[in-house]
Amino acid sequence: MSRFVSLPLVLFVLAASLATTATTPTPALAAEWTVDPARSRLGFAGAAAGAPFEGTFRRWDATIDFDPAHPEQARALVTIDMASAATGDRQKDQALPEADWFDIKSHPRAEFEATGFRPAGGSAYEAPGTLTIRGIRRPATLPFTLDLKDGTAHAVGRLGLVRTDFGVGQGEWTSPQFVALEVTVRFDLIATKRR
Amino acid sequence: MTPSTRYDTVAITLHWLSALAIVALLAMGWIMTDLTPGSSLQFSLYQWHKSVGITVLALTVLRLAWALTHRPPPLPTSMPAWEQLAARLGHLGLYGLLFAMPLLGWAVVSTSPFNIPTVLYGALPLPHLPGLAELPDKKAVHELLKDGHELGALALVGLLCVHIAAALRHHFVLRDGVLMRMVPPLTRAAPPLGDGG
Repeated sequence: MSRFVSLPLVLFVLAASLATTATTPTPALAAEWTVDPARSRLGFAGAAAGAPFEGTFRRWDATIDFDPAHPEQARALVTIDMASAATGDRQKDQALPEADWFDIKSHPRAEFEATGFRPAGGSAYEAPGTLTIRGIRRPATLPFTLDLKDGTAHAVGRLGLVRTDFGVGQGEWTSPQFVALEVTVRFDLIATKRR
Repeated sequence: MTPSTRYDTVAITLHWLSALAIVALLAMGWIMTDLTPGSSLQFSLYQWHKSVGITVLALTVLRLAWALTHRPPPLPTSMPAWEQLAARLGHLGLYGLLFAMPLLGWAVVSTSPFNIPTVLYGALPLPHLPGLAELPDKKAVHELLKDGHELGALALVGLLCVHIAAALRHHFVLRDGVLMRMVPPLTRAAPPLGDGG
C-alpha cells in the first residue's frame, strides 16, 4: 500500500524547514499514525427483510497522516478488503461477495480517501473525501470525533450511505423492498503515533 | 412363512416424518406466496420451506432405498385387481412428486433473479443446481419452473386426498387392516384387523 509521505519527502521537508524560516505552504512535519487492528473496528449496519443486521470488515488497512496542529493538511486512506465482510449470518455472508452485491471478483477493494480534516468544534472533525465502492467514486464527508492522549488516537465515526449510489444490490435488489437502501458504515479506531 | 402384515418401524417412521413435513411444506407454500413481499415472516417462511423441502428429498431417497431392500407387506387379496393397480399407481405418483417437487423447488431457487444462497436450517449451505444459475435466459426458465412447482403442489394435494380417502375407506368401510399397517407401533393397542388372507 502506498504511503502518502515517503521517506525522501520527509527528509526534503525536514531539510527545507531547517533551511528556511519562510512561511511557505510546505506541509508540516509528517505525523503518521499506525492503526491497531486488534483494537479497531470497521463495520456496517443495514436492514434486510425488515430485520436490522450488522457486519464487520475483518481485513482493512488505513494510512493516516495527521498533525493536530494542522488538521487541514491531514490525509487518510482507508482500503477495505470487501471479501472480508462478515455478518455472522451464513446466508448473507455467502451473498455479499456475489456480483449482485460487492462483486469482489471485479472489485476486491473499497477505498476512502480524505484530504484535510475540518475541525467541527471540540473533538469533532469532518473529513471530506472520496469513497469508492464497486469502482464507483463519489464524494463523501465523514464526520468523526478524535481524542488524542499520550500518542494514542481514538477516532469514532459513522457515515450514512445509500447502497444503490454505489451499485450495491443489482437487478431486483435495486428495490428497497427486500433490503433497505440506507446503510451505515461505522468505525472505532485506535492508532498510535509513529516515532 | 407368512409375510409380515405390517410395515416395519423404519418405513413407518419415514412415512410419518414425510407426512408431517409435506403438510408443513404445503401450508408454508400457500402462506408465503400470499404474504407481503419483503416482510420478515415471508423471508423466514421461504427459508424454512427450502430447508424442509430438501429434507423431504433426503427422506424420499431413504424411503425408496428402504422400500427396494425391504419388501412392503402385500396388499389384501380381497382387493380387486384394478384397486391394486390403482394403489400401485397412486403410490408411484406420490413417490414421483416427492422427488420432483423438491428438485423443482431447488431449480426455482437456483434460477431466481434474487440469487439467494440456500443455507439449510441456517447452518448447512446448499449450492444452486449446477448450470442453472448461469443460464442466459434464467428469468424465463425461472417462471416456467415456478409454474411447474405450483402445478406439482396442486397435483400433490389431489393425490394426497385420494391417498387419505383410500386409507380411511380401507379402515372404516372395508375394515381390512390396511391403514393399521402404517400406524406407529406405539399406538398398536388394537390388534390388527386382519391379515388380508
